Amino acid sequence: MARKHKRDLTMGEQLARGPLDLPFLMLVVLLTGVGVIMMFSASYVDALYELDNPTYYFMRQGAFAVLGLAVMYAVSRVNYQHLRWMSVLVLGASIFLLVLVKVPGIGSSGGGADRWIRAIGPLPRWQPSEAAKLGIILYFSARLSKRGTEKKRTFDRRRLSGCFLEWLDNVGFLELVPYGAILAVISGLLLWEPHLSATILMLAIGASILFAAGIKLGWFAGGGILMALLLGFVASSSGYMSERIAIWQDPWSDPQDAGFQIVQSLYAIGSGRLLGVGLGNSRQKNLFLPELQNDYVFPIVCEELGFIGAAMILLLFALLILRGYWLAIHARDRFGALLIVGVTTQVAVQVFLNIGVVTNLLPPTGISLPFFSYGGTALIIQLVEMGVVLGVSRQIPAPRAG
Amino acid sequence: MTQKARKTSSNGGDSRQNRIILGRTICLMVLFGVAAFIPLLGRLWQIQIVDGEWYQELAIEQQTQDMLVTAPRGTIYDTQGNLMAVSISVQNVVISPRDITAAAETKRESGERKRTAGETPTAAEAAALNGAYEEFIAEHLAEILDMEAEDILDRIERNANYQYVVLKWRVDDEISDAVRAFQEEYSLYPGVYLSPDTKRVYPYGSLAAQVIGWVNTNTNMGAFGAEAKYENLLAGSPGRVVTARNARGQEMLSSYESYIDGEPGLNLQLTIDATIQSYCEKTLAEGISSYEARKGGFCIVMEPDTGAILAMASSPNYDLNNPRTVSDPVLADYLEQVQADPAGSEDAYLQALEAAQYQQWTNRTITDTYEPGSTFKIMVLAAALEEGVVNDSSTFYCPGYKEVADRRINCSNRAGHGAQTLAKAVANSCNPAFIEIGQALGAERFYQYLEDFGIIGKTGIDLQGETDNTNLVWTEEYFTGIYGEVSLATASFGQTFRLTPLQLITAASAAVNGGHLMQPYVVQAFTGQDGNVVEQTTPTELRQVISESTSQRVREILFEVVDTGTGKNARVEGYRIGGKTGTSEKRDEDTGDLIVSFLGVAPADDPQIVVLLAFDSPTPVTPGSNYTSRGFFISGGAMAALSAGPLVAEILDYLGVEKVYSDASYADVVMPQTVGLSLADAQALLQTKGLSCRVVGEGAVVTDQLPSQGASIPGGSQAVLYLGEEKPAEQVEVPALTRMTLSAAEQALAERNLYLRPSGATSYSDTTISVSQSTDPGTLVDPGTVVEVQFMDTSIQDYAENGNIASIR
Repeated sequence: MARKHKRDLTMGEQLARGPLDLPFLMLVVLLTGVGVIMMFSASYVDALYELDNPTYYFMRQGAFAVLGLAVMYAVSRVNYQHLRWMSVLVLGASIFLLVLVKVPGIGSSGGGADRWIRAIGPLPRWQPSEAAKLGIILYFSARLSKRGTEKKRTFDRRRLSGCFLEWLDNVGFLELVPYGAILAVISGLLLWEPHLSATILMLAIGASILFAAGIKLGWFAGGGILMALLLGFVASSSGYMSERIAIWQDPWSDPQDAGFQIVQSLYAIGSGRLLGVGLGNSRQKNLFLPELQNDYVFPIVCEELGFIGAAMILLLFALLILRGYWLAIHARDRFGALLIVGVTTQVAVQVFLNIGVVTNLLPPTGISLPFFSYGGTALIIQLVEMGVVLGVSRQIPAPRAG
Repeated sequence: MTQKARKTSSNGGDSRQNRIILGRTICLMVLFGVAAFIPLLGRLWQIQIVDGEWYQELAIEQQTQDMLVTAPRGTIYDTQGNLMAVSISVQNVVISPRDITAAAETKRESGERKRTAGETPTAAEAAALNGAYEEFIAEHLAEILDMEAEDILDRIERNANYQYVVLKWRVDDEISDAVRAFQEEYSLYPGVYLSPDTKRVYPYGSLAAQVIGWVNTNTNMGAFGAEAKYENLLAGSPGRVVTARNARGQEMLSSYESYIDGEPGLNLQLTIDATIQSYCEKTLAEGISSYEARKGGFCIVMEPDTGAILAMASSPNYDLNNPRTVSDPVLADYLEQVQADPAGSEDAYLQALEAAQYQQWTNRTITDTYEPGSTFKIMVLAAALEEGVVNDSSTFYCPGYKEVADRRINCSNRAGHGAQTLAKAVANSCNPAFIEIGQALGAERFYQYLEDFGIIGKTGIDLQGETDNTNLVWTEEYFTGIYGEVSLATASFGQTFRLTPLQLITAASAAVNGGHLMQPYVVQAFTGQDGNVVEQTTPTELRQVISESTSQRVREILFEVVDTGTGKNARVEGYRIGGKTGTSEKRDEDTGDLIVSFLGVAPADDPQIVVLLAFDSPTPVTPGSNYTSRGFFISGGAMAALSAGPLVAEILDYLGVEKVYSDASYADVVMPQTVGLSLADAQALLQTKGLSCRVVGEGAVVTDQLPSQGASIPGGSQAVLYLGEEKPAEQVEVPALTRMTLSAAEQALAERNLYLRPSGATSYSDTTISVSQSTDPGTLVDPGTVVEVQFMDTSIQDYAENGNIASIR
């Protein structure tokens, strides 16, 4: 297709050719690079012993990172306005796929949960819950960006139900119904897998977009209280959860079994001291710390790079998040802003939960660290989301020259 | 409400919406971009900086394996450089039940792969396929290690989570090689492996067992004797290898490694001479059995000029390689009795076993105390001579007893020794004479000499477990006080106080070596692994107790004791042996048992060795009898001296001391060639050699002779000249020569064309009888062979029960 001349472009198209936000791009590339390297260092011994191939995780993650960065660039070229209509498809497809994981022959299970679609053809095994996050971000942003521009609904006030509905509308309940329903369906499907951490993340993403879009704060208060009650109930009623809480409060009560992972994680972090033992020199990765290529990469980062190195990584994340919100604030339209809020919040919540868990600040949940944890789907989707953010950044109008 | 609705649908509503988004996004920005990172950073600071050291220590503990590299334990040598104790490398056979269980799965998988590939799985894989991998290992190891397969299987199952279970400690090379071959054949590592260890070996077995001591295999530390006393020096300090390990306990060699060098143990050279020690132990063992000594005995050989201990033997003895086994015949019999006793319990047996073990491990010469009896008179004599209270012209009259305070103390000779010179009094071991000598010295001076001779306290020998006898000797205050009179009297003949055998021999050495009290020692030197001497013991003189001239006089008198007195039985022709016998009551028991002892000094002119030999509790034939079932009079003169004589001669021989014959006729003669000579010439030739002859056959020329030319026979013996007669060629049987007089023994031997070389007593009378012979009866020997026969003088009865001192404190 021949490249159109600028004058032939629509306004939107012209904007879509704007410059990418360079700081954000650089932060993404930096974090991806550092993440792959640290994941390699952390997974080396485990891969050597378990798979007889020390670069197993590294080669695959590296390939996904390269592919992901390419996809990110491609996505950033897409005029994000098209995402409005695509959002419905993405959401529908991801809900459909979440159902498929339970279908024998297509779904694939591991660790007692059905979270994967099995490898088909050239496509590797992947988690549709990652896609569902994108689905929620797209759909919520698209729908909420039109909030307030819709016609005011009218109700038949002569009927009691009409009056009730009008009241519900006025307190802002009615507009929440579709979002609530979507979150409920997806959460239900995720809990069915089960995949609690993805559920929490999904709710957090949804809530952040709803919050930014201006939903009345009361609902968040109510939702928060409801969730707290629910969590409290689950924690107290199920022995499994209360045991986890007990281990969180005192990992040394069972350092060989239930508390093993967190104790090993703390050993790794503590061993790093101020400057770390040096890149590649971690000793905790010698099969002591389980799952270190997944959720527990960060303790190895702390061990090898020390407090200074870990703080630098946190700083990179913080800058990425701040830059993300900054882009949201400056986005051309509400859709773009909400998109970025969703994506950035997802990253922020994941970082907070992951590091909170590995430092035993929070009770254990299995949330991966963006850019660092091993996982092809997660990395690709993450970079797609970064692509979306960069796409939005293209259309930010340049500040007028003073 | 309508106004509001209108407003939201307007353009203004749109911008208000934008403002809400802006505000709330900034909220999120602050919350997630800044606030959320504060607790995370705080937490990292807490873990890495504040508590970092604590976490790091715990982490390093699990991440590294600290392997101790045992330093080689020093070797123990005797004074000639013979190996007395040496550590050798051995292997422990170890299993890791955890790895065995894990390997069962991998072996099954590899077996399956081979089976599908059409290959034959190994026996181990086949067993794993049948789910019997553990059984396979257990059965094979059981066969190699001579254990029960069920036992091994049980240990694998019981310790399923462990990685280090020792199946067999310290196996020989043969077994460890078999284990290694088995392990390599089926690649069983790390399920089955060997771990290096060392084992202490004592090449001489029981020799000097109580001096050397042994190493406890559990703690790897010396448990008794020098092994325990010099644990730190012998053991050295272990080195360490710190390596990184992974969670499976495997070493991560490349990651992290550091070495801390160990210090090898020092070698220990003892003053003990293995040869002399073996003579002593042999003499002890023989004496114990022939005198039926129920409680063993002890023997020390000291070099008087230096205080070096050449031999130190205690009986009951044991094998250092199996220290817990009771091998002493008397103790073993006793244990068997306890075990067989139907009324006895298992506990009683264990208790008895423990007591027996402790008894055999004890170095009696430094730990046990006893009343020395007459051997102690050496010191009394030395002190009295030194103080000038007696001299060679002193005379003593012994009526057979002596009255002291309100007591009547008997002499060993109840009939009394009559008038005696000083030397004679010593030779007679006359108690009344010594009581007088003690009284002449006076309590103050006597006590002073006790202290000077090191009789009170410890000798300070470089061994552990020396008893301090301070509480077993009177206080000075008591001894010199008004109640001390009887004590002084009994002390003069060596009773009513206790000391260690080592104290006695050390004091006696001072009395004969010129008066120098030496500190006894058994450690000659410590040497490094390279052979350099690290520390050498130099003889330590504690003090001069008596003068050289007094000491010389003491030696002369002691020589006379052996030459003509109670020590007669210790005489060996050719050596000038001095000594003093002792027969002491065990006043701590009311068994009437005695300790018979002899303290020998040789050569008497210039002593090179001082020997103390004692037997504890010879068994009387009937209770109260003075004789044993074999006819030995129970006394130091009849027993200890009799054994000590040949022992001293053997040691002097070994030390290269030349025999000097005072009477040339006793010296051995080399048989000249007489064959071919005329009878007269031959007889004349023999006469010049001091030999008599007997002629067999009739002829003018000697056709053969007995013994053959060059044979060495005692001077004065009778040679046989054959004049045409055939010399009997067949071997003859040595006759039994027990309890014969000299002439009877000579005749018995001459009948068989054998020669006699007597030893022991000097004058041969009807009371002198043979007690042992160098060649066992019934042995076939060539005609002309010399049989050495030891005689004893049974007239020596240097002790008679002296019950009236039993009640003296």
